[in-house]
Amino acid sequence: MPESHSREAPDSFTVSSSNKSQVDSFPTAASSPQQPGRSPSLAAIIKKGLPTVRVSPSEVDPFATKIYSVQADANTMTASVDSAYIHRDLLASELDHPWSVSGSEGSSPGVESQPPSMTTGSTSASIESLESLQDLHNKNVQLRNEKLYAQLSSLAGKGGAPSATAQPPTSHGSSADGAVLLHSEFGYCPNQAFRYTSEHRQGASLPHPIEEEPSYFTVLTTYISYIFLIVIGHMRDYTGKRLFPKSYRHLVERDGYAALNSDFDSFYTRRLKARMDDCFSRPVTGVCGRTVVTLDRVSDDYYQSFRLTGEKTRALNISAYNYLGFAQSHGGCADAVEECLKRYGVSSYGSRLGVGSLDLHAQAEKLVARFVGKEDACIISMGFATNSTTIPAIASPGTLIISDEYNHSSIRFGARLSGAHIRQYKHNDMEKLEALLRECISQGMPRTHRPWKKILLIVEGLYSMEGTLVNLPEVMRLKEKYKFHLYIDEAHSIGAIGPNGRGVCDYFGIDPKRVEILMGTFTKSFGAAGGYIAGDKALIDRIRLTNHANVYAETLAPPVLTQIIASMASIMGAGNVQEEKSLLPSWVQLPAPLMDGSEGRERLRRLAFNARYLSSGLRKLGFIVYGHRDSPIVPLLIFHPAKMPLFSRMMLDRQQSLPPSERIVAEESDLTSEQLKAINDPASVANMDRPARPPIVVVVVAYPATPLISSRVRFCVSAAHTKKDIDDVLRACDEVGSLLKMKYGSGGPGGRWNVEQVIERCLDLVAWNGEDPI
Amino acid sequence: MEASPNPSSSPLASALSHLVDPLLHHFQRIPGSAIILRYVRSSYQDDPIRSLLELFLFVFALRTLLQSRTRGNQSGSNFVKLSEKEIDELVSEFTPDPLCAPLTPAESRELASVPTIIGGVSSRPKISLPTHHAGKPIQVTNLASYNFTNLAGSDSIKEKAILALRKYGVGSCSPPGFYGTIDVHVQLEEDIARFIGTDSCIIYSQAFSTISSVIPAFSKRGDIIVADRGVNFAIQKGIQISRSTVYWYDHNDMDSLEAVLETVKRDEKRRRGPLTRRFIVTEGIFESDGAIVDLPKVQELKRKYKFRLILDESISFGTIGATGRGLTELYGIPAKEVDMIVGSMANTLGGGGGFCAGSEEVAFHQRINGTAFVFSAALPAMLAVASSAAIGTMISEPSMFTTLQENVKALRSVLDHVESLRISSDPRSPLVHIQIRSKSERHPDTPLEKFERGKSSLGVGDVSLAVRPQQRPMVGSMGHDLGVDEQNRLLQSIVDDCLEHGVLLLRTKRLGSINPKLLETGPEARPNIRVAVSTAFTKKEIEKAANIIKASTIRMLGKRR
Repeated sequence: MPESHSREAPDSFTVSSSNKSQVDSFPTAASSPQQPGRSPSLAAIIKKGLPTVRVSPSEVDPFATKIYSVQADANTMTASVDSAYIHRDLLASELDHPWSVSGSEGSSPGVESQPPSMTTGSTSASIESLESLQDLHNKNVQLRNEKLYAQLSSLAGKGGAPSATAQPPTSHGSSADGAVLLHSEFGYCPNQAFRYTSEHRQGASLPHPIEEEPSYFTVLTTYISYIFLIVIGHMRDYTGKRLFPKSYRHLVERDGYAALNSDFDSFYTRRLKARMDDCFSRPVTGVCGRTVVTLDRVSDDYYQSFRLTGEKTRALNISAYNYLGFAQSHGGCADAVEECLKRYGVSSYGSRLGVGSLDLHAQAEKLVARFVGKEDACIISMGFATNSTTIPAIASPGTLIISDEYNHSSIRFGARLSGAHIRQYKHNDMEKLEALLRECISQGMPRTHRPWKKILLIVEGLYSMEGTLVNLPEVMRLKEKYKFHLYIDEAHSIGAIGPNGRGVCDYFGIDPKRVEILMGTFTKSFGAAGGYIAGDKALIDRIRLTNHANVYAETLAPPVLTQIIASMASIMGAGNVQEEKSLLPSWVQLPAPLMDGSEGRERLRRLAFNARYLSSGLRKLGFIVYGHRDSPIVPLLIFHPAKMPLFSRMMLDRQQSLPPSERIVAEESDLTSEQLKAINDPASVANMDRPARPPIVVVVVAYPATPLISSRVRFCVSAAHTKKDIDDVLRACDEVGSLLKMKYGSGGPGGRWNVEQVIERCLDLVAWNGEDPI
Repeated sequence: MEASPNPSSSPLASALSHLVDPLLHHFQRIPGSAIILRYVRSSYQDDPIRSLLELFLFVFALRTLLQSRTRGNQSGSNFVKLSEKEIDELVSEFTPDPLCAPLTPAESRELASVPTIIGGVSSRPKISLPTHHAGKPIQVTNLASYNFTNLAGSDSIKEKAILALRKYGVGSCSPPGFYGTIDVHVQLEEDIARFIGTDSCIIYSQAFSTISSVIPAFSKRGDIIVADRGVNFAIQKGIQISRSTVYWYDHNDMDSLEAVLETVKRDEKRRRGPLTRRFIVTEGIFESDGAIVDLPKVQELKRKYKFRLILDESISFGTIGATGRGLTELYGIPAKEVDMIVGSMANTLGGGGGFCAGSEEVAFHQRINGTAFVFSAALPAMLAVASSAAIGTMISEPSMFTTLQENVKALRSVLDHVESLRISSDPRSPLVHIQIRSKSERHPDTPLEKFERGKSSLGVGDVSLAVRPQQRPMVGSMGHDLGVDEQNRLLQSIVDDCLEHGVLLLRTKRLGSINPKLLETGPEARPNIRVAVSTAFTKKEIEKAANIIKASTIRMLGKRR
């Protein structure tokens, strides 16, 4: 690893988090002062209890303070350093301090003396890839130095060296053994106070989440907005067809061919969605982790087409289904995947029943079955197909499928293919469900009144648009009484819900054996792809023979399987039980924190905290938020169609929501746009403690995914987010939401709070039961 | 409106007006009520029938509005009203079937006959099978995996995948519509479109789900699909979910296609409805029997009858044509003239996922209407990178396709002369399907008198029982003298025997089609063994493997002709 490379990856820093490992991994630091002409390394500085103090925040980052003078909280930056002295030191220390990914191997003088444990987490960090991950910052050496400053000051600011070094062993993922993690992918959040356990009181029915209704004014103006949009759309179509027939050619029949998509069918797409097309399908690059790099694009023709500008923006990613933060390019899981690629190659070249069945599939299936608590499991190579090909394999004409009205499209697809009779009930309404069951059982099949052969109730564990959890205790009670078979789609809840991350059964303390079929996907919490079906052995064997995807579709690629095995093993703590450990392939060598489950637990607790914090915080700020507070999906209601694109754009380009006076400051500074971006870069260590204004990518969803009026923005929190990231999101929402007048709610029991109050009292909010005034 | 005052002098009326007055007072406080009142009054004076009609209409509209749309059975005339007690009894009496029946011994055997590959797919993998040597791994010659161009052995693709891992991680964690469109996806779409020669392309995250999502994205209820009887299962599911009107034509029979198109034309004319979308759906190389479609003829018919063509190139893409560009290259037809080409990145490219190539309009439409595209997470970046790398390899080494054809020829030169077999595949297809020849079909090599003698003998192998010609046994289906189970049993014994001699084959596993009466009648639906030829082997090795298959066949089927 050449030196020049190592110098160019400043933000990909590792944090050694246990006291012990600090000591272990710092022989470099200890020895470096003895080398003539070398200044003490960063670690040594910290160890000595560094920083003696004098600098104002403006010296740390002059531009940032100018812009954020309002938010910049002085007490987060109490640390200060002798600028000239430290500056020189940092440049030197950067070369060999153990915080840098690149410092871990290569030509820097201290490397030989580093213990091997320093890098076992990721022995193979590809320099090229790191470089491109961080290339935004590489271009700006000057600014980087300032960031290193800030890194130093912020660390020192936590009350000196001991706090920085005496972090609990699990504070930063698998870093205890020196594994390299990127702050840009998985945030550094050592404070153990910011943890929570996702759990429901055993046996009790799940209360309905409090969902505030918007005022009549809001509803009315929303409808009027849509009427306007529709009328204008039709007017444009009417005049356009006559004035510019060329651009409508594909919508009308020509040469005896009917239009591929009629203008009526595509009206919504062309006239409503097209107005905000810049908010969808934004191209990205790199890992979709805590942050994501979007490729900037502009449109010259009102979003008919886009042109990439070539610039990139690193934004805080609060929209990926990366619940446990396993979307990582480095760390124990990624290393196992690399090993797998070397051993197995990329594909298996066949279907499960068509000579594409690897030993790895069998191992992964056993592990999945063990994880969810069923006898056996079957893995399908696509989450969507898991539902759409399994339901036809178990249901047939004569079966009644009862389905929640908000069930995912794949469930509807599968149910339609099965030929079974389908009935829907109102979302999560257990009374309606019971009434429907009574009606269906007593009436039997339509016309003949024969009893149904079997009844299959399909529910989702966590609804992806609503953020609501299924009322499983109540469903189980009904199941006892009405003897239906239960199919739970845990696409979003597996890994994300429950004290052990094992889905809704875990959350409610219900024995998974009582549920016939547990389905889930690996796309979300496990950072992989594909899905599984788990159940009794006889059932799964039947599904293996009759599931369309198992017979015909390609199997899940071996590297993806390895990601599943590694991430799942680390959530389970597979190393603790010999029986579970034996399920892992012998070549999968995971670092200790992954193996013993300490990191998995940490991730679950971080996720649970973040979810409750964001959900409660937004409620307290006065937004209407749907769903249960333990859900990592937090839908914030927007209502008015025009606010959707505005919200999305303002969150991405935070300049837009600044008051004009402050915007001028940024515009008139000599900084290039890249420098301006670097100041608020969410991956920068300089922004670890200071209130920053990072660009945030959000997902706005509207009709047809939601009812017409309740368009919303959907946040998906992750264990990779730090508490401070959630602070930033809350600040951004507060700012943009106030500007757009989106605070339709009352703030729940106890009334609204302002954003500083929310951030200050985050622990109270997370502990809050949601009912008593606070 | 009911509250409109009626001038009358009877005491009943005065009592009524006493009751109505406060209501009227409240009514008058509603803004605009005066206008309604005036309107009702004047209309009643002019035309009492009209206001009665209007009242009736109003009540009807109110009733329609309030009536739940999802009441389903309850509103039907077939609804039986039951008391709560009766319902409780019915509920307690309800005894549902178990979710599924346990496997029969035959089904368990079927499941147990699936080999497990130990440690990665290659041309000579180690496999383990519980029925062979108690699961001890054995090394075999792999003629079963879709590893046509031997990309499974490519180290450069592995390296690129590792680089992708270190840059992108594994999962995409988002659907493409949100933040799951990674630059490598865009790159792969461009690569495929350029490779095939279309304007645009869209990638799905599973090949199987691609076509069953493409078809319903375009063909809706009321549209017309004309499809081959032999299309694969995924297409059948796509047709089923689209709820379009389907016409089937005989497998790979262009005359039948023309006849069906003519029928459609006639029906359309008679119906005189609005113009609907019309599609021909067929495959390049058929997954079920390896036949190759006569694309120029289909193109000609499609233009003549104004149909669009959806062509599934899952097998043919990356295997045939001088440089592997598929059927369009084989026949020298510009790919742009085929409306939608659907293919797989899992079979030949060794990545994962599927694609649909076509015009900009076709691709764009699916970005919002392709169910499996919109509602699924994007393909893992690493698989997209591997597919892009595979296309790069194909472009730089086009000679691999000549080798592949030579290997196919070498295999066919041996197997074509086994008289007890019927090879349904096209001579160019790298996927060679072996069926058991029916007694009623003569192999070109079989002398006529032997064929006549064989036709009237019952049984397999050495057992040959002469029967009179008029009692010709036709116990089987699909025009075969053997039943499906019997054919499967014999084919499986050939597969097992080949495995004993170190050659891995696959007896194709099938699920019931969507319309067995129509689709499982032709010879294309017969059970078969699938041989996937690969460039990983030399001509000698292929010939050796072919001879093993031949020997096994003769051992198992005997002198059957």
